[in-house]
Amino acid sequence: MTAAIAAGVLVAAGVYLLLQRGLIRVILGFVLLGHAANVVIVAAGGMRLRDAPLLSGAGTDRMADPLPQAFVLTAIVITFGLTVYLLAIARAGGDDDPPEESSDEEDPR
Amino acid sequence: MILVVALVGMGVLALAVPALSPRFGRDTGYVLAVGFLLLGVVLTPAVVDAVASRPVEFSVPWIPSLGIAVTLRLDGLAALFAVLVVGVGALIMAYCPRYLHGDHHVRTYMLLTLFAGAMLGLVLAADLVLLFVFWELTAISSFFLIGGTGPHSAAPAKRALLVTAGGGVGLLVAVVLIIVATGTSDLDTIVAHPELISDSGFAVPVAVLVALAAFTKSAQLPFHSWLPGAMVAITPVSAYLHAATMVKAGIYLLMRFSPVFADAAAWQGSLTAVGLSTAVVAAALALRQNDLKALLAYSTVSQLGLLVAVTGVGTPVALSAATVHTFAHALFKATLFMLVGIIDREAGSRDIRELGGLRRVMPVTATLTALAAMSLAGVPPTIGFVSKETIFQGLAEADFAPWAGGVSAGLGVAASALTFAYAIRIFRGAFAGPTIQRQLYEPAWQFLAPAAVAAVAGLVLGPGVSWLEPLEKSAVAAMEAGVATPDLALWHGWSLELALSLVTFTIGLGLLLVRRRVLAVLWRLPAPETGVYFDRGYDAVEAAGRALGRPHRSGAVAAFAVWPLLALAGLGIAALVGAGGLPGPAPGTSRAYDWVVLVLLVAATAAVVRTGRALVAVAALGVVGMLVTVWFVLSGATDVAITLLLVEALTAVVAVLVLRGMPARFRPTPARRRAPAAVLAGVLGVLTAAATLAFTGWRDRSPLGDYFLSRAPQDTGGRDVVNTILVDYRALDTLGEATVLGVMALALLMLRAVATTGATGPGGPDAAGGQPGDTAGADDTAGAGGGRPVSGGAGRPAGRMLFHVMDMLLAPAMLALSAYLFLRGHYAPGGGFIAALVAGGAVAFGWFARGRAGGPVPVLRALRARPLVAAGLLTSVAVGLAPALVGEPFLTPLHATVAGVPLTTSLLFDLGVYLIVLGLLVAAVSRLGTAGLHSPDVRARRVVLRHLRESR
Repeated sequence: MTAAIAAGVLVAAGVYLLLQRGLIRVILGFVLLGHAANVVIVAAGGMRLRDAPLLSGAGTDRMADPLPQAFVLTAIVITFGLTVYLLAIARAGGDDDPPEESSDEEDPR
Repeated sequence: MILVVALVGMGVLALAVPALSPRFGRDTGYVLAVGFLLLGVVLTPAVVDAVASRPVEFSVPWIPSLGIAVTLRLDGLAALFAVLVVGVGALIMAYCPRYLHGDHHVRTYMLLTLFAGAMLGLVLAADLVLLFVFWELTAISSFFLIGGTGPHSAAPAKRALLVTAGGGVGLLVAVVLIIVATGTSDLDTIVAHPELISDSGFAVPVAVLVALAAFTKSAQLPFHSWLPGAMVAITPVSAYLHAATMVKAGIYLLMRFSPVFADAAAWQGSLTAVGLSTAVVAAALALRQNDLKALLAYSTVSQLGLLVAVTGVGTPVALSAATVHTFAHALFKATLFMLVGIIDREAGSRDIRELGGLRRVMPVTATLTALAAMSLAGVPPTIGFVSKETIFQGLAEADFAPWAGGVSAGLGVAASALTFAYAIRIFRGAFAGPTIQRQLYEPAWQFLAPAAVAAVAGLVLGPGVSWLEPLEKSAVAAMEAGVATPDLALWHGWSLELALSLVTFTIGLGLLLVRRRVLAVLWRLPAPETGVYFDRGYDAVEAAGRALGRPHRSGAVAAFAVWPLLALAGLGIAALVGAGGLPGPAPGTSRAYDWVVLVLLVAATAAVVRTGRALVAVAALGVVGMLVTVWFVLSGATDVAITLLLVEALTAVVAVLVLRGMPARFRPTPARRRAPAAVLAGVLGVLTAAATLAFTGWRDRSPLGDYFLSRAPQDTGGRDVVNTILVDYRALDTLGEATVLGVMALALLMLRAVATTGATGPGGPDAAGGQPGDTAGADDTAGAGGGRPVSGGAGRPAGRMLFHVMDMLLAPAMLALSAYLFLRGHYAPGGGFIAALVAGGAVAFGWFARGRAGGPVPVLRALRARPLVAAGLLTSVAVGLAPALVGEPFLTPLHATVAGVPLTTSLLFDLGVYLIVLGLLVAAVSRLGTAGLHSPDVRARRVVLRHLRESR
């Protein structure tokens, strides 16, 4: 239940920012969507068993599914790479709104 | 095994070029020529066996589940082409050193040798899938060789690639159809049982697609225009790829499939028709050229047409003609290209109108050109005469229609008469008439020697054509077993073909006598410039794409992101309605403390959305990240949580670096856009929540998860199961993901270069320098937040000192921590990703302290993104390949215990991942951090400038 609400809130915020002006806000939305996707994947592994999958001699009965965690771990690093790349685009002056819309304000470039 | 040695040898030669180059410079070509000859010696026993009808074969499984194998096979036909690839290759390599100048020779030599390897693989491949791979490799190396001569070569290279790759797609479809029809990709089985294809219902599409692939590769009408365009390449490339070998790949393919289709009249008729019309039209086009190289290009198209035609006729005599002429053409056309290259270098032109009388100053060159031109014209006693006569004999045997033999022979004579005429035009154009450039002299003998060898071989092999007989007979036998081929001889009595030769010479001399009128007529003929139809088609496709995309071609992300989002919402609503409601929450999936985290998360997310200030938004985003981290900890995802924590910290660093010099406040979005965006966002949020509710939490661990938990210790020796999945069980995924990160690092370097290029142009001020008011605003905000101690040179000494001291203490500690986390990754939370993020933190910290990447630790200062990424990728792939030595699949981890310490190759694999991730971080910090402070990467910038020029 909490995972579903968290994912929903993150997606709503991410989509809203994605539809805003300016690349920085779009990037913020993108990061939020990344969080949402990761929450959904981990939740898909089941939220009842929550012990870290670290084998230490004790039983594995209460351990969480390690597979979604492995997916999410690399996904986080890839999202980071994409975020950095998008930020670099924003930095390179690739602001993106059409001129007729930015006429009310000066282009930051 | 010999075949593998030869093929791998080519690869080794190509990789040796950078090592040889510093010592030998452009003379590296001589070393490569010797290498080619040595590989020829290695191949000789196999060729001898193949000629004696004992094909040499090598096979290892490649994709056993599909029955696809790496099968190499040298039979008579493959031997013919292998001899050409290696022999002409050696000559071209020996020609290059005196021809090449400038500093691009490493690239040229590597690509030429790689091409030779690909072409050798193409003719040796006895598995259709393998053959397709090599087919494409030749097209790709051709693309780079054509496109390597400067901005003007980009368009012809693109045309050549798209035309031949289009045919390659056809070949791929044909291969798939054949595998579906016959159940095998083994070429021998398919050729030995033609009925497998002809009875399958796929016979017609397969034949059409194979012919299409061959016609594009061998530049037949209407696909011929890429070949004259490819003449922008340097002469060795034209001689080797676009005359002697690669363009013959189409002929080779037709020959290979000849046993399957040769009995079909439609196959015979279409090949003969296309081949002969190409032969005549291209010969006429050749005659009207003034540029000697363009003339030779059209001549090649024409001669390839003859080869397609005789292959289509398919009788033993015709196939014999195809093999002999393939050999003869490679000899005389490579010679002519080399000689035209020499004329070009010596006289500074290859235009007939600017040349003249060179026979007085370059008598040896003139003699060699005469020899090769005689072979081209089919004049005795050269090998060209023998092959041309055999072609006439073969064409006269065409029998797909009652009139076919006569018409085919007639068209063959017409093409050959035009050939005779332009062969004389080549010689007269350069060497006859008054001498214009008297100061010229003969080139060095080293420059002439390779051409001389080929020209003399063409002369000697005329009378000595019987020496070629074993090769010819075994090649024909490979296409059609157990047939008698005519014996090859310079003089074979008074015959029809001799009469046809005499007719050819008579018409050719007649054309020479009335040459002014002929040329006037030819020049008046409408013939489009090279590739104009292709370009029209290409532009039309582009225009169609633009028209299709116009509604979404707004610069704003929202303008095009909204469509897929709307579609998603529509799909979600339809699914929700279709399912008729939602189940309740799965039992036991929420705990009390989850709700606390959720409330905080909602608050922080709202802050990100609501704020108008950039730094506040970034800070709030960091808080969201921290809360998600906590959520991961509570879900038992420890490794994930650590990773996310580090990523959040580094994201904040990079975001602050980027926000310097950008407006402190976001530009407000117009209200008319905000409300619909909020509605769409709300709908998608609700749908996400509903889907998560419906689809998660209903079962516990997956069977795969159980498997990993129970098997990890004995399979991998590791106890942190997530990390064992990353580096042992699913290492291929990890390798792919790490590669993506490496690509991102390289893209970052290029992107900064582009940005700097734009800033120096007329586009306006640098992104970092524009809008001074806004920049100051951002400065103030940053200063208040304490997040920005270095401000473009005017830093605050006290704050900087603090960072300095912290850095001195922290960086070594962070590095030690990184090493510790890395080493323990198999047993406890840590591993390559996490450890590299910690080290990246040290790099970023050093930047804050000093305004540049690095810190007090020398290692950190020396880090550069490109070598890191390269070393990481090489390490990971090498570790992946190592198991092949003991017969295990790619990336199988190997374990050993040395002196009681368990060792595993997955640690080395993880090291590769570590290096790549660190490379990305170094790229990010150095590129985004140093903007405006240091000069950009000059080399990357130059590359980008060149690309921009070429694409214009």
